[in-house]
Amino acid sequence: MGIPSAPLVTKAFKDLAILNAAKRGMPHERICFTPHPVWGKTPEEVRAYVEGPDPVSGKPLMKEIVDALTVPLSDEDKKGGVVTVSTGPATFTDTADNLQEFYLNNGYTDFLPIILPTEEKVDAMLKGTSHKPDETVGKMAAGAYPPWSYNVRQVAASAVMAGCRPEYFPIVLAIASSGMASLFSSTNSFAFAMVINGPIRDKLEFNYGIGALGPFAQPNATIGRAWTILSKNLGNGGIPGDTYLGSLGNNLNYNNVVIAEHEDASPWAPFHVQRGFKKEDNVVSLFRGLGVVPGQVARGSSANENVQFDYQMSDLFSTFTGFFGALIIADPLVAARLKEQGYDTKEKLIDWLYKNTTQTVKDYKSRNYAYLFDYPRALRGDEPWASWYKMPDDAVIPHFPRASDFNIVVAGGQTNAYPQAGNLSYGVSVSIDKWT
Amino acid sequence: MSPALLATGATEAQQQKSPAPKAASSGEGKITAVNPKGTPPPIQLIPMAPRLDTLNGKTVYLVDTGFHGSDVLLHQIEAWFGRNMPSVTVVFRRKAGPYMEDDPNLWKEIKAKGNAAIMAVGH
Repeated sequence: MGIPSAPLVTKAFKDLAILNAAKRGMPHERICFTPHPVWGKTPEEVRAYVEGPDPVSGKPLMKEIVDALTVPLSDEDKKGGVVTVSTGPATFTDTADNLQEFYLNNGYTDFLPIILPTEEKVDAMLKGTSHKPDETVGKMAAGAYPPWSYNVRQVAASAVMAGCRPEYFPIVLAIASSGMASLFSSTNSFAFAMVINGPIRDKLEFNYGIGALGPFAQPNATIGRAWTILSKNLGNGGIPGDTYLGSLGNNLNYNNVVIAEHEDASPWAPFHVQRGFKKEDNVVSLFRGLGVVPGQVARGSSANENVQFDYQMSDLFSTFTGFFGALIIADPLVAARLKEQGYDTKEKLIDWLYKNTTQTVKDYKSRNYAYLFDYPRALRGDEPWASWYKMPDDAVIPHFPRASDFNIVVAGGQTNAYPQAGNLSYGVSVSIDKWT
Repeated sequence: MSPALLATGATEAQQQKSPAPKAASSGEGKITAVNPKGTPPPIQLIPMAPRLDTLNGKTVYLVDTGFHGSDVLLHQIEAWFGRNMPSVTVVFRRKAGPYMEDDPNLWKEIKAKGNAAIMAVGH
């Protein structure tokens, strides 16, 4: 802004605030700290914060703030120029055991044993693509910092570490090229998912039958794991307190939700065709959000009644935040039943779900994400939130702002008619063929 | 990495918790593995804005980022100025949009009408 400013941060985010300022070019920014948390405190409690000490420096907080705005700058504070940042040598040489320990201790892994990315194994991985090792693949920011960049060879190292075969490499490159990390610096402990479509599902022997979302096939397991390992290594993600802040974390981050769509057993168009690709194209589509829940918990799922999956799904979504979308993962038995009910396209089901998944304005306003994200948009006049915030408490509004917030894929082994659903938003679809 | 290290051009590698294996000759039983890390961007250092001689008689903007409780905290700071530095003019503003979105119009207003800003809260 060109005028003095004093950012005020709670103590829990000390490292993040200091490092973020440094990596954005102000290593000596005068950040002041309050006790944590501020959320939920009364004005009297917060007054005590203001009149008490900065918990980092120990000095009176208001003196820290006034000093931040008035104490003259040092020569270091006035410094300009460019600082080059390195991540170390291109290779490391040691015994296998020592290297395994080194990679683990320095956050290069997901803390499970890895395949060491020896030069031989990385070279073998590079044979899985026609792209040159030094070709730039993309940029990724898994934290709040400016993005890192990476080339094909750097992606190959993470693919090896995750246990991928060279023939899987084009999918890993497609994911990396999206720039979308599977670890994110929010306190929310986000989860991520990918949908694989096209003939490559059979060529690589993805599992989309019994246990489709479980640990039962190498491509499902290792490609999902590679997304997290590359998010750490190429996007600098997953450093607790620095580039990762999820309070509880998320077990799905180990290998993410990998869904190869069961295209042959689906009565509907495959997901990638809905997104404008041809059926014979190989495509990976990425999602982000909060997690996945089973449909069996919802009302309408009783086996003793005429199961209404549309109603069941609508009920399941009632706990979801509309900030993210709804990704329905339907077993082929569920999809077949829905088609019998008249939903002969995914679009028809989505239209019904959008219109029938509703909430009162009172319930809506009580949701955390509504306050944090939608209310500021309403204040700015953004629709539909501005209108929603003007309605009476008993007015009924859609649970999700747009019909396009719903997505449907089909996977599973048809051992029972159980759906699952993720509070997950669609991000992007990327051609795998481009990276062969 | 400490800001001081960054300012002197240190490397991300200095954050490593255990010493890096020697990147040299591969002796008996030794193998060479590829560094999997991507490439961080260079950091453009931004000189800090000149400080004020005093806040007395100046206008200080209090900027609410929209995180829970930010408004409560900033109103307590506003009250502190009223009790302890009454010559300071305090202007409270809620930043437009969710916390992660920029608000260039507000920055323009603060630069035109204010002398300093306090922004809260980082959660």
